[in-house]
Amino acid sequence: MRDEALLNVSNLTVNLLTAKSAVRPVDGVSYSVRQGECLAIVGESGSGKTVMNFAPLGLMPTGVTTMLSGSVKLEGRELIGLPEPEIQKLRGKSVGFIFQDPMSALNPVRRIGRQIAEMAELHLNMTPRAAEARALELVKLVGISDPVARLRQYPHELSGGLRQRIVIAIALAGEPKLLIADEPTTALDVTVQAQILRLLKDVQRRLDMAMVLITHDMGVVAGAADNIVVMYAARAAECGPVDKVLVSPRHPYTRGLINAIPRREDPIGSEFRGLPGIPPTLGAPIKGCALAPRCELAVPACSNSRPPLVRSDDSSVLVACPVVNQGKAAA
Amino acid sequence: MNMLNPILARLKKMPRAALITIGLFVALGTFAPWLAPQDPSAQNLLEAGLGPMAAHWLGTDHLGRDTFSRLIIAANTSLVSVGSVLGIAMTIGIVLGTIAGYHRGWVDDLLMRIVDVGLSVPSLIISLAVIGIVGPGYWTMVLALALAWWPMSGRISRAVAVSIMSKPHIEALRVLGASPWRIYFGHLLPGTIGSVMVYATADAGTAALAVATLSFLGLGIQPPTPEWGQMLVDALPYLESDPRQVLLPGLALTAAVIGFNTLGESIALNRIPKPLTRRMLAARRLEVASWDKENSDA
Amino acid sequence: MIHFISKRLKHSLVLLFMASLVCFTLVVSAPGNVAVLIAELRGAVATPGYVEQVAEEIGLHKPLLMRYVDWLGDAVRGDFGISYRTGTDVSADLANRMFVTGTLIVGSAAIATLISLALGFLGAFWPYKLPDRVSRGLALLGASTPTFFVGALMIYGFSVTFQLLPSFGFNGPKSWILPWLTVAVLPAAVLSRVVRVGLEEAMTSPFVLTAKSKGLGRTAILFREALPNITPLFINALGTQVGLMTATAIIVEPLFAWQGLGDYFLAGVRFRDFMVVQACLLIFLTFFIVVNLIVDLAVLLTDPRIRRQWS
Ligand SMILES: Nc1ncnc2c1ncn2[C@@H]1O[C@H](COP(=O)(O)OP(=O)(O)OP(=O)(O)O)[C@@H](O)[C@H]1O
Ligand code: SF4
Ligand SMILES: [Mg+2]
Repeated sequence: MRDEALLNVSNLTVNLLTAKSAVRPVDGVSYSVRQGECLAIVGESGSGKTVMNFAPLGLMPTGVTTMLSGSVKLEGRELIGLPEPEIQKLRGKSVGFIFQDPMSALNPVRRIGRQIAEMAELHLNMTPRAAEARALELVKLVGISDPVARLRQYPHELSGGLRQRIVIAIALAGEPKLLIADEPTTALDVTVQAQILRLLKDVQRRLDMAMVLITHDMGVVAGAADNIVVMYAARAAECGPVDKVLVSPRHPYTRGLINAIPRREDPIGSEFRGLPGIPPTLGAPIKGCALAPRCELAVPACSNSRPPLVRSDDSSVLVACPVVNQGKAAA
Repeated sequence: MNMLNPILARLKKMPRAALITIGLFVALGTFAPWLAPQDPSAQNLLEAGLGPMAAHWLGTDHLGRDTFSRLIIAANTSLVSVGSVLGIAMTIGIVLGTIAGYHRGWVDDLLMRIVDVGLSVPSLIISLAVIGIVGPGYWTMVLALALAWWPMSGRISRAVAVSIMSKPHIEALRVLGASPWRIYFGHLLPGTIGSVMVYATADAGTAALAVATLSFLGLGIQPPTPEWGQMLVDALPYLESDPRQVLLPGLALTAAVIGFNTLGESIALNRIPKPLTRRMLAARRLEVASWDKENSDA
Repeated sequence: MIHFISKRLKHSLVLLFMASLVCFTLVVSAPGNVAVLIAELRGAVATPGYVEQVAEEIGLHKPLLMRYVDWLGDAVRGDFGISYRTGTDVSADLANRMFVTGTLIVGSAAIATLISLALGFLGAFWPYKLPDRVSRGLALLGASTPTFFVGALMIYGFSVTFQLLPSFGFNGPKSWILPWLTVAVLPAAVLSRVVRVGLEEAMTSPFVLTAKSKGLGRTAILFREALPNITPLFINALGTQVGLMTATAIIVEPLFAWQGLGDYFLAGVRFRDFMVVQACLLIFLTFFIVVNLIVDLAVLLTDPRIRRQWS
């Protein structure tokens, strides 16, 4: 079973139609996650990470019409084209979700215990009483002290870190095979971030789940993930095993990202080494390479056609940059 | 002029049906004396309770008066009294509201406390209490309703005034030593009046209802001046034999109020995002399809 | 919690005091000489001497403060003086009339709550689809039709045309239906919009995305997640509407020949019977204050966020 990917996304394209505009926040992206594996998705804000993971599972805000194409297979089952009631059955049961902002992810007027227990009732067919017991177990599992009292509290009575633990408990309650965590630590205090991340890693390993971890933080990627997809302007720029991509990044954008991490040997007060320029605003897909205006290596041909993802000859890494790929081949 | 601009800008976004209804009401009300084909008070007991016919398009009431003419004149009655009520109420509300918003502090606290109390008591009860003490009459009605209506515009003008006062260019004017009079009359008052008028217009429907209700109760517009509420109550004893005389004024009033209420709702709701209409969706789909074509061409 | 309740009670008492001052001042400042009115009422010729005697008797010469204290003391004990018009005790009429108006308000509030929840949910379940448009159209119609016209239509439809229900009198449930429906139309319309808009706003909050991610369906999300969120809002709006029903009662009671408080108040206003106006006004104001108090306490119970602020 281990060889068969749990989630297999290929050539996924998402168009969002709103009253104001049409955008394509995901443009032909492919990746896969196996059981027990953790895939990190990194990229600048607005590069389409959230949409890419949520849209195929029908989790878009109201007022947006979603158009999907390509293929998303969960346990071999095609999600694209699946009617909403069928997808609804998968949410919570096969896939658990963790959100960026735990402060707003919980219903403020319902007790925490109910919000966890209803998952067990819904997906494990438990009686309300059994579900309460299960909720207690889960709250203990995510490391919350005084669990009995917590279950009777309301979200606003807890700190951000505790709330995120509750959200994790909810995500785990249906015993999903895949966990999608959308920037689970971004809204938290720095000290709490590490704890939550450790917790996530820990439960993922213990329950042998697959996890998709969306993040901005390269440090998080290095510590937690097996594979990585680097997104830039709705497309995958580079993807492959974390140890290869982080150690020897090849795509100019990945290099820029890794370069931007402050290093110990930096003199204090030295200039921040971010990528110059700003990311493009999404709308119609860009004809050539989206990075061209910001790229050091850009050649005129970059703006002509879209660079394909090409497997480098030595490894499992895929890079969408002909300049780098050809350079490598020539060398 | 800068008072009219925000109003015109908002008018463009409002539902057309509502604007047409309101326009019709205002036009009828304004030109009623020239539009009414007959004398609305001319009684003719020989022609009482007739159905529609060439001489009386909508028939006659129990005193033989021409219903069509009376309905039209009633629009005028309604328009004039609603206008007076709102005019007086808005003047009081804007003056007190801007003073509260300009001064803040205890003046603000006291005025807003009064406004809160005023808003929590139904306007019908306030105006009836006043009429009960002073005695009925046209101007009692107008003043009593204005007394019940000013807290609303008071609260809105205060909110608008506070937001205007906290704008950076007003701060700057103050720091530069502009006189309080200049700030008040040059910036605060014009800005507030424009915004409050839009809300007041939307509220006109409720005011029209109140005028009609008081007249229905016999404490507002007095006969023989025709008014919809009063026409309705006059015809009520003949409901069984001649329901038309009850229905017509009721429908006229309801139509006018629907116009104003639609307007009010569109003002209250325009911050909620609407889903795509089918036509927009089709347009977006075309847009997306064109992307794929470009790409395959490339 | 206790702290909040005691604070809120104190606030209500202050409001009650202000309400009593308003009622007192209103009558004291009324134009015309009350003593003359009473003298004439008693059938006597209002000679200056007799007027003087009446004034002495009802304490017109006492200082205002004393008159206020006397009046308030009487009012608290349920003595609202004598009607200037009929010469009877105002309080004698009140108990029965309060029962009539109470029946009207309770029944209408229940009907309005049911209808508004049904219409609001219908709209929120199929937003911008046909059921929503129908519900919205009904709400607009209900909020725009004058209550007296609604009453006339009810009588015409149910009593005159189909002869199903009695059009007047207060005798038994069958005679209550038309007045209940008439009073319920406006609040049902307004509240249905509160439910509809409140639910829509709640459905766009982030926790609804969480609920969706749990695999809950739209019905479950509406009832389990969104409904508890709009409950405080709804209770508040319902409180306002129940307060407004006193005003509607003034229109509807005479229409259906009910002898309630609204009818009493209206008669008082018509004949400038100050004592009746004063008594009814005081009862109405007290009613608003009590309703507001109950609303605040109910909101406290339904909204844990506020509950925490005060505990
Ligand atoms: N509800 C929406 N309506 C319209 N456009 C949207 C909506 N949600 C996302 N988008 C578009 O999709 C793009 C990608 O959004 P997405 O939330 O996936 O970015 P992200 O990579 O998750 O960013 P972040 O790191 O800030 O979470 C946005 O730039 C925006 O243009
Ligand atoms: S394709 Fe060209 S612009 Fe894009 S990353 Fe490579 S070198 Fe830079
Ligand atoms: Mg995101």
